[in-house]
Amino acid sequence: MAFLEIDGLKKRFGNVEILKGINVELEKGGFLVLVGPSGCGKSTLLNTIAGLENITEGEIRVDGRAINDLHPSKRDIAMVFQSYALYPNMTVAGNIAFGMEMRGVPAAERQAAIDKVAKILQIGHLLNRKPSQLSGGQRQRVAMGRALVRDPKLFLFDEPLSNLDAKLRVDMRIEIKRLHATTGTTIVYVTHDQIEAMTLATKIAVMRDGEVQQFGTPAEIYNNPTNIFVADFMGSPAMNLIPAKIDGNGSGLSVVLDREARQPIVLPMPGAPAGLAAFKDKQVIFGVRPEALTDPEGAERNGSSIATADCHIEVVEPAGSDTFAVTNLGGKGVVARLRADARIQPGTSTPLAFNLSKAVFFDPATEKRIL
Amino acid sequence: MSAVTSPARPASSGISARTINRIVIYGLLALFAIFYLMPLFVMLVTSFKTMDEIQNGNMLALPQSPTIAPWFKAWGETCVGLTCAGIKGYFWNSIKMVVPAVLISTLLGALNGYVLTKWRFRGHTLVFAMMLFACFIPFQSVLLPMATILGSIGRFGVSLQNATGFNFGLGNSTVNLVFVHVVYGLGFTTLFFRNYYEAFPTELIKAAQVDGASFFQIFRRIMLPNSMPIFVVTVIYQFTNIWNDFLFASAYAGTGDVMPMTVALNNVVNTSTGVVEYNVNMAAAMIAALPTLIVYVVAGRYFVRGLMAGAVKG
Repeated sequence: MAFLEIDGLKKRFGNVEILKGINVELEKGGFLVLVGPSGCGKSTLLNTIAGLENITEGEIRVDGRAINDLHPSKRDIAMVFQSYALYPNMTVAGNIAFGMEMRGVPAAERQAAIDKVAKILQIGHLLNRKPSQLSGGQRQRVAMGRALVRDPKLFLFDEPLSNLDAKLRVDMRIEIKRLHATTGTTIVYVTHDQIEAMTLATKIAVMRDGEVQQFGTPAEIYNNPTNIFVADFMGSPAMNLIPAKIDGNGSGLSVVLDREARQPIVLPMPGAPAGLAAFKDKQVIFGVRPEALTDPEGAERNGSSIATADCHIEVVEPAGSDTFAVTNLGGKGVVARLRADARIQPGTSTPLAFNLSKAVFFDPATEKRIL
Repeated sequence: MSAVTSPARPASSGISARTINRIVIYGLLALFAIFYLMPLFVMLVTSFKTMDEIQNGNMLALPQSPTIAPWFKAWGETCVGLTCAGIKGYFWNSIKMVVPAVLISTLLGALNGYVLTKWRFRGHTLVFAMMLFACFIPFQSVLLPMATILGSIGRFGVSLQNATGFNFGLGNSTVNLVFVHVVYGLGFTTLFFRNYYEAFPTELIKAAQVDGASFFQIFRRIMLPNSMPIFVVTVIYQFTNIWNDFLFASAYAGTGDVMPMTVALNNVVNTSTGVVEYNVNMAAAMIAALPTLIVYVVAGRYFVRGLMAGAVKG
């Protein structure tokens, strides 16, 4: 039995269904990231776990106990808010101790708990300051301290890094990951940033329109997306989704990619998924991530099926660590990720290696993965 | 000269249009300010003059032999109706009425604003609209119904007196006035606090809920300490209104020892025994106006800050 179980959860506002039957599980000590575009219901889902919003149907269990009818303070959870929600009239110490004060913890015990948390987060020198005298990163730490001091069963984070600047965000991300590793707490984390999701999570739930599109480990989500939405949403630059035709020529299947004013590229697919045979002579969406489309020298040597084809390069974007090249296949701009020192000129043709063992196919009608 | 000091200005003959505009604007402002302050000036200088000087001198002239005797007379000796013990008793009457009325109406307004923004219930907009309506009721129209209600409350007080030997203040004129001012102040105080709390971050309330704070604990520990600007605005507004009120005061506490300051002042001026002592009347009026002045001076900067708070918050 999992530590956190969300079972058939539905939430309606009047006739509008915000959450349409969510089923998610998380083991003890796990890190679940709810990720999705704005308005997908991820924050609402977090608020229902916190008890700040009621649910219409379903059940939320923590450690085998249903908590969906309990008051937020009785659920043994702690929450870090997007705006940090520090009480402006109290000092840092007052903020951290407020929950304990409300629960009637004696002053000496409170002080000990504050000192312990301040040591972990290195905010000891800030304890007597007001929130308005802190920087963004310091406020973030205090907000985490307020959550940590409870020693709850479950931590909830609502987009905690979105108010920080880019550099600080990366630092705090590492810090959260370290905190999770050292304290072994169970965390549910909401973000719209897929990189945060990939780097932090042990489990990811990709959400759209109040439904979980895919639930799995970061590697599963990244390598085996179940539909076009997940494939497109996760990863940066996004996966190339190219309209293509499946051709069968006796021995096996091959993928045909149209090109402007030139012969189509034909890529043989020896290890094609079984379901692809049904799409013979039909249109599919051919998905290949930028790192699986690279210069032949940089391609994975032991990749089981590498196919090379000449492509016309339209744009070259040197990004320092990599060089991105944009070509046009099937009527769409396609991004290839090359080595940083790849010698490549826009307006010329160059051979690109397709790592077909990493390629995925989608049915254009249902947008689902072809397996 | 002016063309040299401000080179951006296009060279023109004589005084520029901008200068003329300035002169007109400041001239008009000065004129209005003088017009507005003139009565206050006359009152102030008159209150420091002797009766001789008032009868023989110019109204606008400064006192030649300043005296503070009229102020003492107004405070301790002047006649209000038939009793000649000054206005000091009535001054305290007003204080006793204003302080509880302001505090109760402000706190209730804060509570209303808190519920109407952070604990919304079905129909909260209707409730707020109806409370706003209280701001637009002409008070003359409620004089008689309120008198009836106060009469009933007074009779209930008598019954309580007979039953328990204590009337719990029901029927007392000061208590009546506090009640009336709280009821008719609620519309405004609720409006002020609701609009302020509308912009108050809801995540703070959520965080406090997760921390286990109750409805009133959140109000007392989170909302009130962060409401200083609007609290000051509301207190100034309510204090000025209730202190200056004449209508309710004369209708429900218009006679005897229970009169508030405003009614007493009216009676000082209307008392006709021999010569009209303008200097004493003016001193009495100044004393009557002092508390609101003091409130403005002490809390005035918060007043402006409070009115702007919603506008500049990013």
